[in-house]
Amino acid sequence: MPTDNSFTIIDQTAWEDLVARFDGRMWAVARAFGLSAADAADAVQGAWLRLVENADAIRDPERIGAWLVTTTRHEAARLSRKARGEVASDLDVADTALPDPTAAVVDADFGRQVWRRLDLLGEPCRSLIRLYVLHPEARYAQIAVRLDLPVGSIGPTRARCMARLRALVEEEEAR
Amino acid sequence: MREEYLLAALRMGAGADPVPEGVSAAARAVFGLRVPGGVPAGPVDVAVPRGARSADGTAQAGVRRFSADGLVIDVETAVSGGRMEVAGQVSPAPGPDARIEVRTPHIGKVRVPSGSGHFAVAGLPPGWVSVVCHRPGHAPVFTRWIHVGP
Repeated sequence: MPTDNSFTIIDQTAWEDLVARFDGRMWAVARAFGLSAADAADAVQGAWLRLVENADAIRDPERIGAWLVTTTRHEAARLSRKARGEVASDLDVADTALPDPTAAVVDADFGRQVWRRLDLLGEPCRSLIRLYVLHPEARYAQIAVRLDLPVGSIGPTRARCMARLRALVEEEEAR
Repeated sequence: MREEYLLAALRMGAGADPVPEGVSAAARAVFGLRVPGGVPAGPVDVAVPRGARSADGTAQAGVRRFSADGLVIDVETAVSGGRMEVAGQVSPAPGPDARIEVRTPHIGKVRVPSGSGHFAVAGLPPGWVSVVCHRPGHAPVFTRWIHVGP
């Protein structure tokens, strides 16, 4: 039974509304993988292309944002693997039926809540994450100079700090 | 909560690294790439013997197979000199009245398939690409979009 790909329930205006609502989140998620601007643009565009080829996904408007962000994450991960020279099959298809529910909360309001959690962290976590967030193009060597830390410690420290921040956020959400 | 979601939210909360207008414009334009009434051809994960074209000396090449509505569409891509070439075969051969449309988000090119269903297009920008088979009396069949890096 062929999929109905006629998009009878959405028009250009509704589509542009979706873009206005979600493209900022999609871009931020793609860039969070450390992708260049060009690769992040490809990841975001890929997610929108998945939507036009996957009309079923739009039948649940309540979940469309989570679906778009989840799909962007999937495309960004694939492009990130390619950028690292790893084999990344384009035949693996994201499970479009199961958008990640946590993707739905990625927005500026939630971001401001996370900033408040970040302020609870000590140094060097607070400064390291702040630098990493505010300067997406910064390399570990530049951050190491700014924080006077060994360059080899930046990656592990960032991972540890992000884990602590995630724990704080999840603790807040559990209350 | 995935780390990249936290990082994305932090950037959004700070207004850092906003989405470029070009990315938003490209997203709006994607709506025009839908294929009304079209049948999506999903990927078939099988080994396809090389032979549709030579990929010697190219930056990236690979054959992908897609299938839907009784059609098989094999697509081979290569990038050379910064331009993408797309070649392939539709089987069974769709006949002389069929048209094969090779699309990128920026440009599409239409070809008449050969008697054996082969087609080829050169000079496309690398990036996302999809192939559509238009046959009189049938719904168009389109492949999933695939990404071809420069």
